[in-house]
Amino acid sequence: MSQNRDLNGTISYQQALGNYHLQKQSLEGFPAAELSMDEQQLLKDFHPDHRQETMTTLQVGPNKGDRCHKQIADVLQADSRIDAADLAGARIQETDVLVIGGGGAGCAAALMAAESGARVILTTKLKLGDSNTVMAEGGIQASIEKGDTPQSHFNDTFKAGHKSADKELIKKLVMDGPETIRWLIQQGMQFDLNEFGDLLTRKAGGTSANRVVYFRDYTGLEMMRVLRESVKNSDVDVWDYSPAVELLSNESGHCAGAIISSLQDCRYVQIKAKTVIVATGGIGRVHLNQFPTSNHFGATGDGLVLAYRLGARLRDLDSFQYHPTGVAYPQHLSGTLITEGLRSSGAYIINALGERFVNELKPRDIVAAAIIRECEEGRGVVGDSASGSSDMRGVWLDTPGLEARNPGILKKRFPKLIQLGLKSKIDITQTPMLIYPTLHYQNGGVVIDENGRSGIEGLYCVGEVSGGIHGRNRLMGNALLEIISFGRKAGVSAVKDRKTRGHKQITIDHISNLRRELMQKNMPMSGKSPLLFPQYAQYDAEKNTTASNESSGFCGVCDQ
Amino acid sequence: MTHNLNDKQTNNKKDNEVSLSINGQPITAPDSLSVIQALWHAGYPRVKGVGCLDGVCGSCSVMVRRADSPEIKMELGCQLLIEEGMDVFFSVFESPLQHNYELSEINTSWDVQTEFHKIFPEAEKCRHCHGCNKTCPKGIDVESGVDLAIKGRFRESGELFVECVMCNLCMTGCPEFIDPNHVGLFARRVTGYFHTRPSNLINQLEAIRTGELDVDIDIEKQP
Repeated sequence: MSQNRDLNGTISYQQALGNYHLQKQSLEGFPAAELSMDEQQLLKDFHPDHRQETMTTLQVGPNKGDRCHKQIADVLQADSRIDAADLAGARIQETDVLVIGGGGAGCAAALMAAESGARVILTTKLKLGDSNTVMAEGGIQASIEKGDTPQSHFNDTFKAGHKSADKELIKKLVMDGPETIRWLIQQGMQFDLNEFGDLLTRKAGGTSANRVVYFRDYTGLEMMRVLRESVKNSDVDVWDYSPAVELLSNESGHCAGAIISSLQDCRYVQIKAKTVIVATGGIGRVHLNQFPTSNHFGATGDGLVLAYRLGARLRDLDSFQYHPTGVAYPQHLSGTLITEGLRSSGAYIINALGERFVNELKPRDIVAAAIIRECEEGRGVVGDSASGSSDMRGVWLDTPGLEARNPGILKKRFPKLIQLGLKSKIDITQTPMLIYPTLHYQNGGVVIDENGRSGIEGLYCVGEVSGGIHGRNRLMGNALLEIISFGRKAGVSAVKDRKTRGHKQITIDHISNLRRELMQKNMPMSGKSPLLFPQYAQYDAEKNTTASNESSGFCGVCDQ
Repeated sequence: MTHNLNDKQTNNKKDNEVSLSINGQPITAPDSLSVIQALWHAGYPRVKGVGCLDGVCGSCSVMVRRADSPEIKMELGCQLLIEEGMDVFFSVFESPLQHNYELSEINTSWDVQTEFHKIFPEAEKCRHCHGCNKTCPKGIDVESGVDLAIKGRFRESGELFVECVMCNLCMTGCPEFIDPNHVGLFARRVTGYFHTRPSNLINQLEAIRTGELDVDIDIEKQP
């Protein structure tokens, strides 16, 4: 074994690349890793969820006393952006069902609600389809292969989530898998098929059968463009550039709509709705533990905050998914996702010494923790002599080996990755990509029932904003299944549940309660949430964007 | 890394930095940044026209003129690395949908071609000016895709649009007001809707419908 290191014990990008090629050309190649490892201990020692110094205890709200990440606590316990005075001049719009969020879950919910004959408004922070859904690559799980069963899908999902998920929710999810695929095909979505027209399937880390169906490594793009077109051709009223900044409640504390803050004209609008479906996605853009993220620009946990303020209970708030294969080099693409489909197809992960160190098809939390262990124990690439940067770290994703064993597979199945290689000036058929875990998914979220109902009457939460389906770790392909399956269920239920009578009184009393609680606990009132945008976008709602207008001569918020 | 790009611009231009203009504003930033990252780096707010930052949502289309050429090209702002002397404008074209159709209103696959020409009557007016191909930031042969759709070869047409991110730039490049990307998406959707009938999926749907397959949530009891 080559031991190409610096004097101070670290291994540079070039040295590690040398080690990789030496080992690749050796007779033994890359033998499988020793598999005797204590997985629970590995997670405890190296998974970012277990960094106690970044955790805190919630002081206010339904989850008072629960542990969660400091950055999550900051947004959950921040002041509202809204005062009663803001509502005085705000236009009022009425509808039956309000869907907040324009990704896959929101579109599925809106389509089903509109199909049931309800008036539906879908509001989205940016444009319809701007979401994490469009970026999903790996695929969607459904037990359809001969010999595979919903029971196996259930068992795999429950086990990968460390036996903490809500079993009834998983049962609903897995039983709905094949029907969800059928519905997507009926929307006009294509999947990769074999020569006889059957759906192709592949494994995911932690699955016992080939169960992930996919369209190249563009599954999310194909899904989202089809759903977007469906929604735009339906009766759903789509409001782009309309982030929700607060929910409305009625005299009984039920959800009664939302306040949106238009990015078009910087005005507030009150949308009164009989039922509200929150489908705002996750929170990767707060960069927990300073990790880069694979998430969409708008993933700032807005729905989580809104639901919590109205009294909805959350779960597994301390559990996040760090996807093992995020780009570590080049640095301007840091955090960009490389699909698990590579590992499903047999790609190895190799450390800076040229060794495999984990079974690549273990669930994501185990593989991510193992990569972090390699880097912390000096077997990862550290720093980059070429650019002189010191915070780069990672291990290799062996695309050249995969291509050598399956000639042509990269071009045929992974066109998006080829593009990423071109942008990185790396020929991925010859040179491996340097990867490191990237903040990918919020495992927990709002507690829901089998139809996506939260604990608050009139309020539904579906998709990444909800919790319970994945427990404390999600399998590849279960997120796309969840958003469509539960999105559709919520859309149907929201129409059934709509009250025949309108709300007597529409209020934002829950904000007064929040402020009282914050003051009683002597909590700072300076921060405001929901965040709406990551801090580096320099969006300033307070100044109503005019300050930035004056300084820059143009407004990147509303283009006015 | 994308999350510490909020450093304010300094006047001392370093080795790896380039100067360019974005929406008329002079900006200096490291050459490893995309157009959007460069704007943030220089301290300008920018949320509109920002999306997935991964090249697939189609929200961040920009017009760009490089220092060495008078030609204006269309690109995606999150994917375009900045270069010395570039002139970049965020495109603000609104692109209202001109067509309305539902797949369920097409009765059989025999009717697709007729319906296509009813839904997209302007498609056959294509004058092969390559405007759509020139504006496509993904390098798709849009014009051939439209041509194939006109001929009723929807599966082949759709194949050309695999990497289409629906940025709508080809619409802006078409003098006949064809919506080429929506033509491509129509071609893809009818192919899925009418011709995807996987036996492995259909068998499993039937087994679930008849109750042959069910889930026992009491996992501990299983062998």
